Amino acid sequence: MISPTSKWRMYLALTCLSAFNVQADPLMSDAEWLRTMVFAAHQTNFSGVVVYQSGGRVEMSRITHVADGDGEHERMEGLEGERREVIRNNDKVRVYLGDQKVRVENRRSHRVFPSLLPEQMQALKENYLITQSEEDRVAEYHAHTVVFQPKDNLRYTRKMWAHSESGLLLKAVVLDEHGRIIEQQAFSQIKIGGKDIDRKWIKPSEDDALHLARHLEQASHSGAESVVSGWQIDAIPVGFKKLFELRRSISDKKIPVVQMVYSDGLSGISIFIEKVSQAPTKAGLSGQGAVHVYNRRVGDYLVTVVGEVPPRVVIQVADSVRYAGG
Amino acid sequence: MKEKISVLMDGEMFEDDAELFFDKLKRHPQTSQDWAMYHLIGDALRQPEHIHRDVSAAFHERLQAEPTILAPQSRAPQRMKHYALSAAASLMALALVAWMSLQIDKEPAPQLAAAQQSDNVVRPASFQSNDYQSNDYLMAHQEFSPSADVQGAASYIHSVEAK
Repeated sequence: MISPTSKWRMYLALTCLSAFNVQADPLMSDAEWLRTMVFAAHQTNFSGVVVYQSGGRVEMSRITHVADGDGEHERMEGLEGERREVIRNNDKVRVYLGDQKVRVENRRSHRVFPSLLPEQMQALKENYLITQSEEDRVAEYHAHTVVFQPKDNLRYTRKMWAHSESGLLLKAVVLDEHGRIIEQQAFSQIKIGGKDIDRKWIKPSEDDALHLARHLEQASHSGAESVVSGWQIDAIPVGFKKLFELRRSISDKKIPVVQMVYSDGLSGISIFIEKVSQAPTKAGLSGQGAVHVYNRRVGDYLVTVVGEVPPRVVIQVADSVRYAGG
Repeated sequence: MKEKISVLMDGEMFEDDAELFFDKLKRHPQTSQDWAMYHLIGDALRQPEHIHRDVSAAFHERLQAEPTILAPQSRAPQRMKHYALSAAASLMALALVAWMSLQIDKEPAPQLAAAQQSDNVVRPASFQSNDYQSNDYLMAHQEFSPSADVQGAASYIHSVEAK
């Protein structure tokens, strides 16, 4: 188990290594664009308003991201309705919803790693036809477009607009196999770089800091560890490779949950298995935009499959989960 | 006053100021109109299928009518700058939604299309709840998903659902 601090150091080391190609090069290879975009998402300082649309749902959020000596800080703030705010400081996430009290969660801080592993880049090229498309403008910035067209119908097509200089994702569209838009998001306004980006939110209020400290004391007994759980997925779709199998604590669930993570280089599928005494309150299929969730009861366990894949894929995966002993 | 509306809608006004503002709102018809206009933006954002193409033209006119803040006043330069940005950002967002709805016009709306599909296509229920809630599993999943990695904090839009 690598500590979050050493993970952060690893990330910094990788970041420094990549400093040579921070400036996105239009002649970069197609798959390299994704790598650059991931780096830009973690190391660029920016603040802007994102408009998200999926079906009849449209939302505006302010997204701010700061990378400094203490690591990475990001914030999503809903601009309409009740308070809806998520703040991440490295592996600590604070969630504020409506008038609910702040919720604190521990998050693994290696979000950056899976998509950068060479085998993931290989998977990306195997599963998608990657092409660079027209130059464009998004939120007054020059953007380079990259299209990830799947070679089968087990995953969605993605078109991404990356800031030509930094590689930061400015706009993204997800399309289904018929070319229909599943969801899209774009910055309507964004400020990239500069010192005057608001950082007041990074430090939690005194109340929140106390809450955070109490929570972390409890959480230090849990965490996540790699396991061989004995659970078997028989119908993982072609092109998805297993990244992790973990036993971890999630939010306020008392019993640790098994999480298996698969990726095709761009989209991910997670399988969660938890012991339950009652039937789930929300059973079956649900979804928002490109993300789908499917629940299924297997004996005393609840299997939940989450992924940015078509609905039938999460169902197929969930239906093939069985306990093979171990 | 318009700047105040914008600040309030951005959730950046202090509570006391907001109460004063609401008092004013009740007394001044012009302010109420502005308030309604800004909320029209919000409503339009929530219901893209009802946005007409000429909406952005109408708002372009309103934008022309907006006083241009060329130089921030010396007393509170940062705030003034922010106000101006806020109003402009709202209008740019509206233009963007108009663009997005144009994209959808070209194709049947996804949910309609799904309903017309044959029986082997499953139509998921959207994440609905009676209150705000974050989906722990979605968040836990997004820690590892490459596409969520590229999207950064914007991927929380999925896991922290609105009403």
